Amino acid sequence: MLENEKEDLESFLSATNTDMKRETPAISPEERERRLKVLQLEAEVARQEGKRVPTLDSLKDHHWDQIIAMPSRSARMKLYSFLWKNAAIAESRKIKKQEKAAGAQERIEAIRKERAENPHIVYGLGNVSMFLRVYDATINHWMNHRLIRAMMFSPKIVLDCSYDNQMDRREAENAAKQLMLCFAENRAHDDPFDLHYCNVNLESACMKRLQSYIPTMLNPEFPMNIHSKCFTEIFPKDNIVYLTPDCQKDLETYNADDVYVIGAMVDKRHAEPLSLAKAKRLGLRVARLPLDRYLQWGSGSGKSLTLNQMVNILLDLKTTGDWVTSLKHVPRRKVIDSKERLASFYEKQKNRVNVRVDKIFDDDNAVFKPMNSVRSHKKYLKFNLSTWGSKK
Amino acid sequence: MVQCQANAENGRQPNDATLGYLLRIYNAKYHSNGSSPESLSDGDQADVLNIWKILTKKHKILDSTLCENLIAGLITTRRWREGLELLDMIKITRTPSIFAYTEFIVKAFSMKDSSLGWSLFEEMMETIDDSRQPNCKIFLTYLTEVSDGVQDITSGLEKMLQRLQKYELLISVKVIDSIKTLAAAYPNLLQATDCHINFKGKCSNCQLSLQAKTLSNVDFEKLRNSLLKKVVVGGDVFQKSSPTEVNDFLNFVDRTGPYDCVIDGLNVAYSKGKKKPQSLADMLVSVVKHFAEKNKHVLVLGRKHMNKWPKNSIQYVKDNASMFLADNLSQDDPFLLYAALKSGPKTDIFSRDLMRQHAYLLGSELKHIFRQWQQQHQYSLVTKTASGRILIKEPTRHLVCAHKIKSTWHIPYKMQYTLHSSDSFEIPEHWLCLNMKKI
Repeated sequence: MLENEKEDLESFLSATNTDMKRETPAISPEERERRLKVLQLEAEVARQEGKRVPTLDSLKDHHWDQIIAMPSRSARMKLYSFLWKNAAIAESRKIKKQEKAAGAQERIEAIRKERAENPHIVYGLGNVSMFLRVYDATINHWMNHRLIRAMMFSPKIVLDCSYDNQMDRREAENAAKQLMLCFAENRAHDDPFDLHYCNVNLESACMKRLQSYIPTMLNPEFPMNIHSKCFTEIFPKDNIVYLTPDCQKDLETYNADDVYVIGAMVDKRHAEPLSLAKAKRLGLRVARLPLDRYLQWGSGSGKSLTLNQMVNILLDLKTTGDWVTSLKHVPRRKVIDSKERLASFYEKQKNRVNVRVDKIFDDDNAVFKPMNSVRSHKKYLKFNLSTWGSKK
Repeated sequence: MVQCQANAENGRQPNDATLGYLLRIYNAKYHSNGSSPESLSDGDQADVLNIWKILTKKHKILDSTLCENLIAGLITTRRWREGLELLDMIKITRTPSIFAYTEFIVKAFSMKDSSLGWSLFEEMMETIDDSRQPNCKIFLTYLTEVSDGVQDITSGLEKMLQRLQKYELLISVKVIDSIKTLAAAYPNLLQATDCHINFKGKCSNCQLSLQAKTLSNVDFEKLRNSLLKKVVVGGDVFQKSSPTEVNDFLNFVDRTGPYDCVIDGLNVAYSKGKKKPQSLADMLVSVVKHFAEKNKHVLVLGRKHMNKWPKNSIQYVKDNASMFLADNLSQDDPFLLYAALKSGPKTDIFSRDLMRQHAYLLGSELKHIFRQWQQQHQYSLVTKTASGRILIKEPTRHLVCAHKIKSTWHIPYKMQYTLHSSDSFEIPEHWLCLNMKKI
């Protein structure tokens, strides 16, 4: 029994779950058609019941591909609620635009009349001005040029994009937005890093979304370093430091010769030390930001930082060498003490209208709970349709 | 119904969701009128059947919401049995809800078809989420039918109690009151009294000892074999430890095992919450002493930073027990469980940790076996008195679900119905001692 166990263990220890792709079982076209019909009916009935589901016309094929693959009804309802909200926002924007356009003719007429009566030259931006207009393209060219210079002379930062299998679709899309912001904020800084995106899988949900944010990402002249290889093959192992929140060693000083690696994942769901496990497997040095030493962490929000916040912290650390200034990029809501946060919350409530004012000012005895605003599209209903009779 | 006529007069046909809600209204009316076949008028019942015809003609496969609304409606009519196929239709997109199953089960019981009722009940318990509890209505309806019924009272009650045992359900006080009234009606057959179970497992009423919990050999083997793969290694061995450390540990256990008890060193040391290494080491020493005095062979698990603790304490531990120190970054709980299970079914563990994440990793079938093993074998340190004596909480050795000893059932219950079951760390306080006399 012992030898058997050991042999199995050997093979098991070397394999990892992280490399396996999540396999979706293949279904036949008739089965898919049948399932699609039922799901469409489900969406339609939920919409008729008053739940937040967009109209069936607005759900495209790529939506249905995603919906059919979803494991449960509650996951589907959450996606519908998200799409409904987007549609509702677009709708209200359209209405506002129309209202604004209604008075546009009169405004233009008024300005024209004023100009006709006025014999003097009009100075100002857009009229007569001594300033040259600097177009966005010029600024972009200038920033790209600095990035290319940074590729030659600046320290390097690696964003490790190998965590696609551990993220679900929503997390992957959030990660893509953060990766885009990393690139943008790095480019806009006075002294940019040489940013490398490693372990990139261009078919993944994250990278597809990143390509939609930056369409020219893969062009050869665009100053973005995309590698499908691992960073251990590009940089020597001795220089690499993996930044992970799960280890116990703080990063003391910034070393410009080291290549710092940040795991490009959104992992608010799991409590597993994924980045630490990867660093241990590759035998790399690890470090974490000295957040506890320099900041008073408030209750409530967790210690997770987004990727662009990390890059900003490292940029400032490189420029100033001072932790206090560079950790200013950590959002204040995480850092403020809980008592201060409650006080600022009361301040905001005082400015709203539909609130009992006597309880606000009596700070010591205030047992105050924030009121949910009545959903405007349900205000006319006498009872709450969405929870009556059926489960919400 | 009035609303339907109003809509038809407007020229609009009511949409599917409206018809669904209408069925719910009929269902509510049926229940408020006493839930019998005559609760709804013939006109209303015909309306329900009409809606069913409309919906099935319109769509070949109905979605889960419409199916559930239809079930709620069909229950009120005489043709409720044809609604059972709707359950299969729901299963295409999701598992049927407790509401759907409960309506059918309650109707089956009230129509004297208890075998259908119980088979649906078992299907419900197998398929719904593990932590959810069935509604009291099911048991209350069944008990009313048993008391009115022609069949044998005791065998009818047996059927229900066996299901309680099989699914380890904790019923509410309402059901217990119903059982008590049944017992009062038939004093020559049943005798029901409230009782307390002391920590040794003895009933205060009938003085019988409750059945001892045992884990079968098969189950224990299953648990042992999966622990290494699922908990110690998990998906990625580096998340909890490293391959060299796991191999070292396995060799260590082979060399120095088997053990009588495995102690989680850090959990024990931090029990009182002190931070000084001296007081931490003292806690550990007192626990090891407790076992050494009984000549038991123990394993103490810790982390490498414990080498910095006061030398004589660590030396005492090393002299009187085996000690394994894991990396500072590794998790020690999986090692604890592995060493305990490897040493055999009689080994105990000493820790206050509830081990929820390890239970989850084992999968739902093994989680249950793991919890049983854990309840039988986990000692936890309560505190250390000023005189140096340690107080230990022993594991409960008796069954905590409804079960039968000779001809007496002991049934635990809770004072209020809750939708989710607790994770069974507390022993139920209230028990009913039910004696079934054989005629």
